[in-house]
Amino acid sequence: MPPLLLAAAAATCTPMRLNDLGHLLQVMGTFLGLSLFSLGGGNTLLAEYHHLSVDQYCWLRPSQFADIYALAEAAPGPSSMIVGLLGMGAGWPEGPGWALLSAYGAEIAILLPSTLLMVVACLSWNRLRDSPWRVAFERGLGPITLGILFAVGVKILQTADTNAAGVVVSLLVCVLMLRTRISPLWFMAVAGGLGAFGLINR
Amino acid sequence: MTDASELPQAAPAPGLRQLFTGMLLVALSAFGGGLSAWSQRIIVEQRRWMSNEEFLTGLTVARLFPGPNQINMAVYVGTCFRGLPGALAALAGMLLVPFTLLMGVGLLYFQFHTLPALDRVLAGVVAAAAGMALSMGFKILDEYWKDPVALLLAAVTFVLMTFFHVRLVPLVLVAGPLAMAWYWPRPSQPSPPAGEPR
Repeated sequence: MPPLLLAAAAATCTPMRLNDLGHLLQVMGTFLGLSLFSLGGGNTLLAEYHHLSVDQYCWLRPSQFADIYALAEAAPGPSSMIVGLLGMGAGWPEGPGWALLSAYGAEIAILLPSTLLMVVACLSWNRLRDSPWRVAFERGLGPITLGILFAVGVKILQTADTNAAGVVVSLLVCVLMLRTRISPLWFMAVAGGLGAFGLINR
Repeated sequence: MTDASELPQAAPAPGLRQLFTGMLLVALSAFGGGLSAWSQRIIVEQRRWMSNEEFLTGLTVARLFPGPNQINMAVYVGTCFRGLPGALAALAGMLLVPFTLLMGVGLLYFQFHTLPALDRVLAGVVAAAAGMALSMGFKILDEYWKDPVALLLAAVTFVLMTFFHVRLVPLVLVAGPLAMAWYWPRPSQPSPPAGEPR
């Protein structure tokens, strides 16, 4: 089952030996390359973030990835700022200073290419608006985004929940998110309380 | 929602500093959620930089292009008035406070996450957050419900990623052009209006 698999992956993950600057460049290069693939608002990249930070570069353990995802969702502001926390995790072994530098580097790297493209798009929108490329892009990439979002949901569920109570809470929150307009902060607060009393654990 | 046309004349185009402070205000107002609604309220209704129509066009562009929607929206507003420098000013205004706060939270987390009490709370919070992640796909499923090809594409994408561990970048590079070819607007049949924001 997933927990076992994840444990095995964590055990075999051996970080590359890099110096401080090498780490920073690795982080920035990674996110620069992903920026233009953040379809549908950026959440589509979460499974890729998980793969890179947990399985490939060993910046984080699986449970830390789940924690960071939850923190980014709970914190005010765009949840795509999770990239800053991933960068921080990558730089943490070198100390808080490098961790911060790495966090800012990661966030700038993930935002820079998409921002530049967006500027170009705004300036040429009048020509783009009726282009067949625009129509095909919008209608073609939509379903792919849908599939990716489901895959991301399952991936995070596997990473987060290692016991039955957790899965039940996740499914319940999912239904409540779709059926009610209650702020998700309440769900996180209540679930955090359940965790504190040991009803959800890992 | 107030109709923009009933409002008095649009305000003069904002400068770099106003773009920065305007987006700062949006970010601060949206503590606790509703970033999109707050940016509309402040940009359209309070500051009157844009008409509601212009704002909705911006949202369409922001959703279409890669990048986080709200951040793209800030870039759109900044670019409209001051080009690239305006985009950077708006972006900085939007991110300054939330990102600084998140960095503080992050430093505390990495310092203290091994404490058993904190770990127990986080185990619960994480379960709720996973539920939120799971709901993302269902939220937009309705839009594609009547299009079997779209559902098939989504299903294939899901299966490839989840069971065959296909990575995102190659997947998008192969499936994207194929899907675009399928959905290429055909001159013989009038293309239905492309998905406007709900």
